[in-house]
Amino acid sequence: MDDPFQVPRPPAALRPLGVLALAGLILSLVLALFVAREAQASMGGQLQRIFYFHVPSAWVAYLAFAVTFVASIAFLRTERRRWDLVAQASAEIGVLFTTFVLVTGPIWARPVWGTWWQWDARLTSTLVLWLGYVGYLLLRGLATDKQRVGRLAAVVAIVAFLDVPIVHFSVYWWRTLHPSGPAPLPAQDSGLGVRELGAFFVSLVSFTLLYVWLLGRRVYLGRLTDALEQAEIERARDERTAVPA
Amino acid sequence: MGDVTVGGTRSDVALRARPRPGFGRATLALLVKDLRAELRARDTLPPMLAFALAVALLLAFSLPGTGEGVGAGGARRGLATAQVVAGFLWVTVLFSGLIAFARTYESERAEGALDAVLLMPLDRGALFAAKALANLGYLVVTEAVLVPVFALLWGIDAGWAPFAGVTLLVDVGFAAIGTLFASLAAQTRSRELLLPVLALPALVPVFIAAVELSAGLWSGSGLAAVSGSGWFAILVAFDVVFAVVGGITAEHALG
Repeated sequence: MDDPFQVPRPPAALRPLGVLALAGLILSLVLALFVAREAQASMGGQLQRIFYFHVPSAWVAYLAFAVTFVASIAFLRTERRRWDLVAQASAEIGVLFTTFVLVTGPIWARPVWGTWWQWDARLTSTLVLWLGYVGYLLLRGLATDKQRVGRLAAVVAIVAFLDVPIVHFSVYWWRTLHPSGPAPLPAQDSGLGVRELGAFFVSLVSFTLLYVWLLGRRVYLGRLTDALEQAEIERARDERTAVPA
Repeated sequence: MGDVTVGGTRSDVALRARPRPGFGRATLALLVKDLRAELRARDTLPPMLAFALAVALLLAFSLPGTGEGVGAGGARRGLATAQVVAGFLWVTVLFSGLIAFARTYESERAEGALDAVLLMPLDRGALFAAKALANLGYLVVTEAVLVPVFALLWGIDAGWAPFAGVTLLVDVGFAAIGTLFASLAAQTRSRELLLPVLALPALVPVFIAAVELSAGLWSGSGLAAVSGSGWFAILVAFDVVFAVVGGITAEHALG
């Protein structure tokens, strides 16, 4: 081809961000497993350490769906492709981290509650949240008209986000088994130690960095896909309009 | 349309002379059109009713010891049975509603008339409102048949007036979100399949509230107990949110 395919370049900050997220995650693992003290028996003792990954996953899921929500509204207002890419990327990451939440929760609950699953308000609403965004991703895959996908999906994203506050406040609105607030941190009389809080916040920040990195990668991938499609369209057009020799 | 001569100056005059109809009038006109089409073709409501009755009958066979009553007379059966029957009723309504809602834009789609409807100088919100109201009507008719059948099968006999109120509240939320997602699903490859996948998660709070409130009423709790429970507030809140979100986003959900 005379006109070489213009490959979009990845954002410069992406690589250092990834390295930082990886370092943070390794540090969180060390802090959560070796530095934080064992929790009270009612919280599962050693098992409670899964909390340092369960809660940050839930936080990333909330954050991801909030970004999808805002990006969807922005897309409906501006019709700019960029916002649609962000909304889709963030929803995919949100579903992934909600899956982590739904997997790590039962692993902890089985020995501590004696059951994998309870139809408790927070568990139920989290599962519903997951289903809602799986539907969102399905819609994106099944829409016939590529121009329309963004708009249709944005409407679903706005409705699906209504469940996020329900998930979050479910532990306060209904009597649930699920621990609320800072309760699962170590033995109540010893209070929240700086070691546990440190481990928790390092993990929270690392997961957030991981999210931003994944989002950047996924949006970049979306731009590559767009560029490739555009190039294919242009090539097909050139082939058709080319004058035969 | 009769007095518009295409290509002549009269059409310009006619178009200019007629102001864009208001939201209420447009909604009413579209609603009357849909209901008239349904009355003539009868292709949504009768299958929906038949489906609902078939499901009710199947469920009746699946629950042992029916006919002893769950209402005031049968209070001995308690809240647990009332909850099972309420669950059956609302699942039946949900399924029959979804198969009917999947057809919301079918008549427009079939002949490519949707483009013509969308070209009309109307607020898209009015189109959404008309479709939602028609679907609401189908739901109410289905329930008017279904609820007495359930009452006969399981001997429910309590709190009909408040139950009708609860039912209407459930229907409003269900019709609003079902119609919104029907217009999205209609534009995808797997229309009938995608609607439940999208709508069911969003509808979970509404239907849990419906089951809790119905079971409460049937097992002898009065209106006061029902209106005092948080479920009532949840139901109203979701109705308002769904109707508002539906009205606002309808513009983007259609074509």
